[in-house]
Amino acid sequence: MSDDEPVFIGIGEQPSGRYPNRPFMGDLVRVGVAAVADAGLAMSDIDTILLIPCLHSFADQADLVFSRVVEELGLSQRIKSSYLVHSGGSTSDNTIRDAAGLISSGHARNVLVLQAEKWGSAPVNEMIDMLTANGIPREWEKDSGLSFNAVGALITQRYMHASGSTPADMASVCVALRTWANLNPNAMYRDRTLSVEQVLASKMVTDPIRAMECPMLADGACALVLTSAGNARRLGRDRWVRIAGSGGCVSHYSIGQERDLAVLGWEKAAVEAYETAGWGPQDADIAEIYDSYAAVLASGMEGLGLAPKHEAARQFARGEFSPGGRLPTNTNGGLLSAGHTGVGGGTALLTEGVRQLLGRAGPERQVEGATRAVCGGSGGTYMDSQVLLLEGVSA
Amino acid sequence: MTSSNEVGMEALTEPYYAALRRGELVVQHCKACSRDIMYPRHLCPFCYGDDLSFVPASTRGVLHSFAVHRIGSPTGFENDLPYAVGVVKLADDVQFLARLWPDADGDWGGYACDAEVVFRAADAAEMQRRPVPWFGLPG
Repeated sequence: MSDDEPVFIGIGEQPSGRYPNRPFMGDLVRVGVAAVADAGLAMSDIDTILLIPCLHSFADQADLVFSRVVEELGLSQRIKSSYLVHSGGSTSDNTIRDAAGLISSGHARNVLVLQAEKWGSAPVNEMIDMLTANGIPREWEKDSGLSFNAVGALITQRYMHASGSTPADMASVCVALRTWANLNPNAMYRDRTLSVEQVLASKMVTDPIRAMECPMLADGACALVLTSAGNARRLGRDRWVRIAGSGGCVSHYSIGQERDLAVLGWEKAAVEAYETAGWGPQDADIAEIYDSYAAVLASGMEGLGLAPKHEAARQFARGEFSPGGRLPTNTNGGLLSAGHTGVGGGTALLTEGVRQLLGRAGPERQVEGATRAVCGGSGGTYMDSQVLLLEGVSA
Repeated sequence: MTSSNEVGMEALTEPYYAALRRGELVVQHCKACSRDIMYPRHLCPFCYGDDLSFVPASTRGVLHSFAVHRIGSPTGFENDLPYAVGVVKLADDVQFLARLWPDADGDWGGYACDAEVVFRAADAAEMQRRPVPWFGLPG
């Protein structure tokens, strides 16, 4: 492993859920301080801050652009560069690529990636209107009345048709995620169990999606610290996480233009990622794949080769991705049960992947010997499918 | 915040909206590469030609997927509930989002992915208000 290769060395996270008394900027600085301490660095070692946007407020997002975090962290005059990266739910993947490029090219030494969201405390109707009004060609398709849940429903309907999955199969995906959330003290639904019967008894919201199959908007915050492998060694770290492979595919802008709603861009994203990694889906120890709806996760599992085509939902129903199953998947509970923290849902999954590979997920949730993780993100109307293949490395 | 896209778009939108108001479905067509385009673009996305026109579209398509709104809608669609939207693919290799008419039972249980659907415009007032294609089951 070369000295200039980028590696993760630290993470930070605030619990997800409804925390109206936790201010946005307070979450950002707390989670940043936690991640830097976790990395064994001093805050003054950070020379670059990459920001993952919030969606709850344009003013708060503007604060990110105007480098408020730098000032709040007392890093004025010290930070070379602080900027926002944005591709919706896949932002974390793209931000890590940015961080990796900056480190390996020598433009940055220690990068702090920060994310916070207040979706759980924001007016829910405004947030849903914002999601609905954007990501659709206003002139051509907006007047059809498409809602954000309908985007998930179009994908789910197609997935169920193509795979022959039943409503109970789809519900079992949510149930599997809940069993993981019950092991995660930072998950929104850490204290509430869920059964297939409960999901199927909940109201139909947008056929074929029921109320308990919709993600709950949440507050949350995550941070990650990256440096070079050489620096990690000099710091005396005993374990870090390298980026073994990466691939992506932007498959559409409008959901009305997606050629196959049960496939999206996952298959194309997977090819380059596994080629560069030199290992395949059969070698993965864990998976952390975007899951704002069960069918999005199922299509991701199949497209990334983690489940046979058309079988992902049924394999969820058989417990293959649950605690104790063959491939622990979305071990934080995912967006569906840890909470949908906007752009941060993907960041939380990525943070969980790094946490697992660092061996810091705690006695209940840690996947023993986890070395290889497949992390997948998708943004906006699932317009892109992004994959990062991560590997834990011991000194 | 409105999109700057809305200014100067009439040249592109008006022929399309006008056809829908007449109860007709048109798609954009590139004269240079002879391909049909949906939704309409500023330049042909295949050859970047700018000699684009609108041509009558096939009125028969295949339903790729659909969703029925029952609870919750975008602002302005509250009184439409329940209603359905679908992704329709035409033989001309174009596809788009459309509204779906209820089936004979007044719901959407008669629809299925990959089923044939046919263009059937809404009344003039609805097309004036919201110029989008409407599709229904054949017959």
